[in-house]
Amino acid sequence: MRWRTGLIGVLAMALLPPAAAQQHAGHASQTEDAEARRQRAWNERLAIASPLSVGAALDAAGRLWLARVENRRLLVSHSADGGRRYSTPVPVTPQPEAVMADAENRPKIAVGADGSVHVSWTQSLDKPMSAHIRYARSTDGGKTFSLPAILNDDRQVISHRFDSLAIDGRGRVAVAWLDARSRTARTVGKSPQTDVGLYAAVSEDGGTNFGRNRRIADHSCQCCRTGLTWTAAGPVAFWRHVFGRNIRDFAIANLNGGPVLRVTDDAWEIDGCPHHGGGIAVDGHGNLHIAWFTNGEKRKGIFYRRIAQTDFSKADARLDMSAPLALGDPARQAGHPAVAAVGERVLLTWREFDGQRFSAWAMLSRDAGTSWSAPRKLAEAAQQADYTLPLIDARQALVVWNTAAEGLRVLEVRP
Amino acid sequence: MRRIVHAVFTLWLAFGAAFALAGELQPFTGASLPAIQKQFAGRPFILTLWSLTCHHCVKELQMLGRLARSERSLPLVIVSTDTPAEAREIRAALKRFGLQRFDTWVFDDTVPERLRYAIDPAWRGELPRSYLFDPAHRREAHSGLLGEAQLRDWLRRNRPAK
Repeated sequence: MRWRTGLIGVLAMALLPPAAAQQHAGHASQTEDAEARRQRAWNERLAIASPLSVGAALDAAGRLWLARVENRRLLVSHSADGGRRYSTPVPVTPQPEAVMADAENRPKIAVGADGSVHVSWTQSLDKPMSAHIRYARSTDGGKTFSLPAILNDDRQVISHRFDSLAIDGRGRVAVAWLDARSRTARTVGKSPQTDVGLYAAVSEDGGTNFGRNRRIADHSCQCCRTGLTWTAAGPVAFWRHVFGRNIRDFAIANLNGGPVLRVTDDAWEIDGCPHHGGGIAVDGHGNLHIAWFTNGEKRKGIFYRRIAQTDFSKADARLDMSAPLALGDPARQAGHPAVAAVGERVLLTWREFDGQRFSAWAMLSRDAGTSWSAPRKLAEAAQQADYTLPLIDARQALVVWNTAAEGLRVLEVRP
Repeated sequence: MRRIVHAVFTLWLAFGAAFALAGELQPFTGASLPAIQKQFAGRPFILTLWSLTCHHCVKELQMLGRLARSERSLPLVIVSTDTPAEAREIRAALKRFGLQRFDTWVFDDTVPERLRYAIDPAWRGELPRSYLFDPAHRREAHSGLLGEAQLRDWLRRNRPAK
């Protein structure tokens, strides 16, 4: 008799609508299982052996430095011959950890005039979308690194992600990131604001100590990369903010204090995740150069604009901005733009996709962004490809591009 | 007795198989959208795209789950832009929102941009993303959360022919 009851039970489970069947199982254990599955899936997502997203920088001697993730270790190496040969990679993370290196997330690296090497990254934690902002530096030319520090001083297991790094070359280090800590202080769901804002930590002693976390802005977009550049008046961050209820345009702010300044007005109103940020660089005159993506009412695609030098920390700062310049071919999904500058030279780069293949593009200005060379296609990739990373100094303009089929490429942009 | 057991077992197999198919996460490739359109030939349907990493997608799935409770014959196709490696978590999320009985898919390409492009070259990857296909399969694209009222209104106008 018992077997028949069992069979009928199975039949009932199969015939019941799924929601009812779900109620059948213990509710608490169901939630636990779901939570365990979420964590497992999140960890699987992070366990890719060799993610494509890398960080790159040039040092004072023009050598190329790379930060990349292999088997849950963050490794730093350098090349003196434009990427043909690299030094033996040095681990920055003494223990394996989940370094985020995926599209909008990548390790950041910067090298000071004194040869100090600074690295920041986002370390994913077990809970989905939660992470710490990490930092380490080397004072012996990249032979060894300090023990990684956690920069977000709240240490909560919540989202601290999308870090950006800048140094002033004279011992100051700044890191900015998107931080969800204000979410816990507010009644979630009742506030019209997003649950994320921009936070930063600054070191005055070459990265030995960082000051208390600074809250720069509330109500930012949640999952676009941030940008950071060091101007004469301090570090200036660039991020996708939320204006009004839900307009996701870009803002800048000086981390040393001052207003949140709106620098794009594309009127992109979206109850959603663009997963598509922008970049910022400062030239030798103190002008800012920004490149970004939008899908707004007023314009769609990727754009560049120059913001003339001014004191961005003044509450009444008036911005003198050039008209947005469209980049790339919208029909080929031109996206993920980035910018680098030195003296009067500015390098813009972006990625295109024709439905089958990615291509890397760049253009160069020699007059601080007033006029530009024709856009040039630098390379194509047959399989998956990272964003393109611009690097510039007095001697060279390079685009670093990591691609699954062709490997890591260092592409020269000739004037 | 034997006949009853046999009948029950056959029924169980048949229904079990039907549920398994509905709950199955299918690999979404470049050929999948034409196949889905063929399946819905002459009928309207909603194609919704989401990801485990997308903040707003949870709200979208919640809303669709609510809608699905009152609209038993909701013509809904749900596509995750994550990877097949995350199938377990995708299924768990769909189940949480009571959406597992629908056609569910997961992106299956080492270059997911190819699939995005195949669906719509004008879609830049923002999520959630949805397409409302009318009976002639003229489609309306939408980025960000769909309003429940907007969707109910669209359903009234495009009620599938009985």
